[in-house]
Amino acid sequence: MRRILAHPILDVEKPKVVKFFFEGKELEAFEGETIAAALVANGVDVFGRTEHSRPRGFYCAIGKCSSCLMIVDGVSNVRSCITLVKEGMQVKRQIGRGEITW
Amino acid sequence: MVKTDFLIIGGGPAGLSAAIETGKRNIKTLVIDEGVELGGQLVKQTHKFFGHEGFYASVRGFEIAKKLVSQLNENVVIMKQTTVTGIYEDVITAYDREKDSVIEIEPKYILISVGASERFIPFENNHLPGVYGAGAVQTLMNQFRVLPGKRILMIGSGNIGLIVSYQLLQAGAQVKAIVEIADKVGGYQVHAAKVKRFGVPILLRHTIKKAIGEEKVEGAVIGQVDDRFNIIPGTEREFAVDVICVAVGLVPSVELAQMAGVKIEYIPELGGYVPYRDREMRTNIKNIFVAGDLAGIEEATTAMIEGRIAGLVVARELTGTDQPDLERMQQELIEFRSGPFSDKVRKGLERFFSQQIVSYSKDGQKDLGPTGKLRPIIECYENIPCNPCQTSCPSGAIDVPGNINSLPIVDYSKCTGCGICVMKCPGLAIFMVQENFQPGKDLVVLPYEFLPLPEKGQKVIALDRDGKDVAQAEVLKVIKSANKTNLIHIVVPAGLAQKVRSFRIPQKADSLVCRCEEITVEEIEKAIDEGYTDYEELKRYLRIGMGPCGGRTCRTITLGILSKKTGKSLKEISCGTFRPPSMPVKFDSIIKGEIEHEK
Repeated sequence: MRRILAHPILDVEKPKVVKFFFEGKELEAFEGETIAAALVANGVDVFGRTEHSRPRGFYCAIGKCSSCLMIVDGVSNVRSCITLVKEGMQVKRQIGRGEITW
Repeated sequence: MVKTDFLIIGGGPAGLSAAIETGKRNIKTLVIDEGVELGGQLVKQTHKFFGHEGFYASVRGFEIAKKLVSQLNENVVIMKQTTVTGIYEDVITAYDREKDSVIEIEPKYILISVGASERFIPFENNHLPGVYGAGAVQTLMNQFRVLPGKRILMIGSGNIGLIVSYQLLQAGAQVKAIVEIADKVGGYQVHAAKVKRFGVPILLRHTIKKAIGEEKVEGAVIGQVDDRFNIIPGTEREFAVDVICVAVGLVPSVELAQMAGVKIEYIPELGGYVPYRDREMRTNIKNIFVAGDLAGIEEATTAMIEGRIAGLVVARELTGTDQPDLERMQQELIEFRSGPFSDKVRKGLERFFSQQIVSYSKDGQKDLGPTGKLRPIIECYENIPCNPCQTSCPSGAIDVPGNINSLPIVDYSKCTGCGICVMKCPGLAIFMVQENFQPGKDLVVLPYEFLPLPEKGQKVIALDRDGKDVAQAEVLKVIKSANKTNLIHIVVPAGLAQKVRSFRIPQKADSLVCRCEEITVEEIEKAIDEGYTDYEELKRYLRIGMGPCGGRTCRTITLGILSKKTGKSLKEISCGTFRPPSMPVKFDSIIKGEIEHEK
């Protein structure tokens, strides 16, 4: 568990829990947080693999470095660090460059 | 097709400030932002800002974001979670991620205030999950209340590296060390002091060599560097960490500006490639403006001023009326950039237009005030543009003479010892002391932003400026402050008023391992975490086993802790060497040498 439960400066409110799926497994997230934050909170550090099979996490968290690209509801190359997690969302690790969807 | 008078790309401090100005003047303004919350990087800043009240000095960043958003009026339309994908000659395209649709925008004027991205550095295995930009760590912990890990190695001692280290401590993580390749700390002394007080070492002339781990970060190897910044062989040290936080600077995001035909120049003092702009934040393209980190890496106060300047210029042109605030803002910017920390920025901007400065006083407080009186000691020795100590003082005892870059001076005859300045100081650089407050006791009042808060009467360990234990102390009073910088009054043994600058709450009763040198289990575990994983190393670092008993009491316990922490069996760990004398012997007897014994 990596949630900060008490903080000297920030109020820690009780947010609404939403459920989403990571690699088919149901996980809990808080409404209003990004997919990346929800994954890290659940102890997931590896967000995908590069074409050369290197494990990949995220780096900038503000949508600029594109290290956090994942497959979200079947769509590749979604920036998980600036995309909000939603109830029932299917999130998968992306391997390589991802598939084109139409 | 969306038509608007003024399009602002990026709703951070610069973009929002511009939108406030144009909104106020009835100009239809559209703000497009990529993030989930307006405010740019302010939303994750939990520290109080420097500067003056006009620009929210002493207010925490995330609260500044809220204040800015609240000043937007009905003329300002906001689109969040939307990415501007291209600027073409006739149209601007954006992608609304929420609605999954593309929008075309036709504005009369554009402000590009998209900020910057994290600088990356090459080191072995830097692809591993667990290597984060400092901003990412802040976003995770302060915006979403998630800690990326427990044990952190910080790379870079600029203000971001120092601030994020302090915030990691506040969130309950351990910062093993801050590694700095240069021979001095990059950020403000007051920020460095904040982390040092909690015992975080800042290793100068050091850099990271590699990250350890297969699937994610499990450790890091650092080393000392020579004059050419190459690691000196043999100086490598290993840290057991799960996060490597990279705080080595920011790179302006110039893509959109360049696409729009703005001239881009390489100016290292401003962060690398930056768009050309003039004093009015206008680029070489008449209707395109830039502001904030995109225009040169600085901080949020100057971004806010630049944004307001851009907004006022756009307002002047669209309404055809003079904007008297414009000149005032430009003057404000000159004043802010007059201090020593802006030398670099001024040098960089000199390439675009000539720079002016205002003079300020470098003579700070000379004395420590009247001994025995409860009074503030201001440990602020750099000319940071900042004055909340002065403006918050109800009795007018603190003066920042001339302008905000000057050093503060206390008139102790006017000071009532109320402590408001201690609470307000964004650098947490003001303390209060009173010698001989009780017979044999001094009083120290410390700003404290950690949990849990101590309780009245609690015994704590007083620490010095480097976070080293100094003495046992007792909490006399806890004053909770609305701005979360609480005042803790602690009573320390007489003579320590000028030494004690922090305290720690003892976690558990100390269990001694070494009776001779008084070394605890906690200290040994901490040293092993820091990378001392050999008995002889521990001996030299902690003096464990170097006492008169020769290690008879502590050696096996230490080896046991070492085995447990490193996962190695006792057979694999060297038990170290035994050296004479095996028990204390008088120097005198040794010096006298051997005597003839009767046979």
